[in-house]
Amino acid sequence: MKPTTSLPQNDQPLARRLLRSLLVNIGIDVICAVIVTYVMRINDLFWTNLVFSLCIGMLALLFIQTGRYLFQRKATLHKVHFLAFTMVASGLALFLGIQLASWMLGLAVDNFSMYMNLGGLGLVILTVSVCIGATLFFWNLSTLAELRNQAATEKARSVGIEKQALQAQLQMLQAQIEPHMLFNTLATLQSLIALDPPRAQQMLDQLIHFLRASLSSSRIEQTTLAQEFALMEAYLELMSLRMGNRLSFDLRLPAALRGTVIAPMLLQPLVENAIKHGLEPKIEGGRIEVVASRQGQLLLLDVSDTGLGLTAWSSLQQPPPASHASHIGLSNIHERLQALYGAQASLTLKPKLPHGVVAQLQLPIPP
Amino acid sequence: MTNSSNLRALIAEDEPILAAALQQALQRLWPELQIIASVDNGQAVVEQTLRQRPDILFLDIKMPGKTGLEAAQELAEEWPENEAFPLIVFVTAYDEYAVSAFEQAAADYVLKPISDARLGKTIARLQQRLQQNGDGNAALDNLIGQLRNMQPKASAEPLTMIRAAVGNQIRMIPIGEVIYFEATDKYINVVTAEHESLIRTSLKELLPQLDSRQFWQVHRGTIVNHQFIQLATRDESGKLSLKLRGRSESLAVSRVFAHLFRQM
Repeated sequence: MKPTTSLPQNDQPLARRLLRSLLVNIGIDVICAVIVTYVMRINDLFWTNLVFSLCIGMLALLFIQTGRYLFQRKATLHKVHFLAFTMVASGLALFLGIQLASWMLGLAVDNFSMYMNLGGLGLVILTVSVCIGATLFFWNLSTLAELRNQAATEKARSVGIEKQALQAQLQMLQAQIEPHMLFNTLATLQSLIALDPPRAQQMLDQLIHFLRASLSSSRIEQTTLAQEFALMEAYLELMSLRMGNRLSFDLRLPAALRGTVIAPMLLQPLVENAIKHGLEPKIEGGRIEVVASRQGQLLLLDVSDTGLGLTAWSSLQQPPPASHASHIGLSNIHERLQALYGAQASLTLKPKLPHGVVAQLQLPIPP
Repeated sequence: MTNSSNLRALIAEDEPILAAALQQALQRLWPELQIIASVDNGQAVVEQTLRQRPDILFLDIKMPGKTGLEAAQELAEEWPENEAFPLIVFVTAYDEYAVSAFEQAAADYVLKPISDARLGKTIARLQQRLQQNGDGNAALDNLIGQLRNMQPKASAEPLTMIRAAVGNQIRMIPIGEVIYFEATDKYINVVTAEHESLIRTSLKELLPQLDSRQFWQVHRGTIVNHQFIQLATRDESGKLSLKLRGRSESLAVSRVFAHLFRQM
């Protein structure tokens, strides 16, 4: 149990909260009037006592609630401090409430001393303990509400991330092992069997490697840079077999970063986009470089290509039309970055000179 | 009629292994066929075909530069009137254009990966067509028209307003006021009765965003709002051109789109 807690914030509308505490307060006041009349037998006129009780109760409520609002500006508040304040406030409410009720009922104003003589200490103890009880009751009620809110927010957030991860998984499976990719690869493989059996064997190995890597990486929530780079290498090997000398590539992963943990399907889609939108449609093809580096607590992942440039990518910034539904849009990567890493993470696209695109992922390095 | 001993074919395929395999299979199954070139993009295939006039064209649909469909359309528009058009075999990774619809058309299509058995059928079909010695051009135009309708269409809402940058202002042009769109190098010229404005896009991107009941493509580089067409006239050489309301110039109709103006 924490010694300090931030003052419970209720998200219910103010009017409703006030009405609720008012009703509870009236209930407590009636009970107090009953106790004073029939248990403590201070004054056998119940209605008179009820007026007194209501005045004291309402003033106590006013003081304590006002105090709460004033204290609320401070970030944290010690429960004990607030209870001490409640004791003082309830004493004050007792004194002023008796004055107010006497004036309302047209009784003599020195009623306070009379009351004190009659009820004395019992009355003070009753008032203070009721106030502290009520304060604790409301405090716990709103703490509970706050905890519930927190739990709900937390749950919503994790559901959001799960949903996005699931969506990414599905999209990845569609995008990576889409029929195009498989059919084209198989067509190439089939041709190679006739043309160059040893190379066909190599290509088959690459394909198996790629399928295994992409299926396993789609099923786990975290992967390492080493695994992610292996997946990209398998993909790029297959693509360069198909594209021949229209595609060259270079992957650079420093040994120190090999074990770094990263969410799957952040890097791979950038490589796919670079091929699909940058290099495949370009007559002379080009080169892809993927470089991992570290800058303080940030991991930098650069995917650069010498393809058609940002205009070819621009269609990716908007939601893709139905006919291109199979590719993972940049918006999806953006969303997942925010969900997984928050504001520290970013994805930027810049034109590369003389031609092409540099996509850069920045991620916080997990401690 | 070309003598079968010197039949010439051109292969357009951007993946070198597939191109080599197709070439090898053709040599094995049809040794008399001479493969004059193998090109790896849509621009080169148009240039080479116009220059070398092969009898048969194996066209990969998905290529950099231009798709096989765009290349075929451009060839059809550029082809000299009295020359026999090459027979086209479309090659595609999978049936995305529902190419089986063209079984009846002038050319054939084959799916990758190409098996020897399937290629054998294609060869038989090509040989039969070469024997028929018919005018393949009408059939080809027909095929292109069909292919164009088969192109994947965007499901987007049609455009209602064209925003064109003019100097440092944006000119808003209601789509109904556009008389025609004309493609230039990197831009499209948007022509209305009052003015012309350039927008930076391509006809390929624009076409799916237009209501096809209102806007007709009449040439590789021209899309016209049919409500502004006043007359379609055919000159003595058989070329079609359109007279428009509100504009003095007339627009050429390529033969790929001539069927739009046959009498009802």
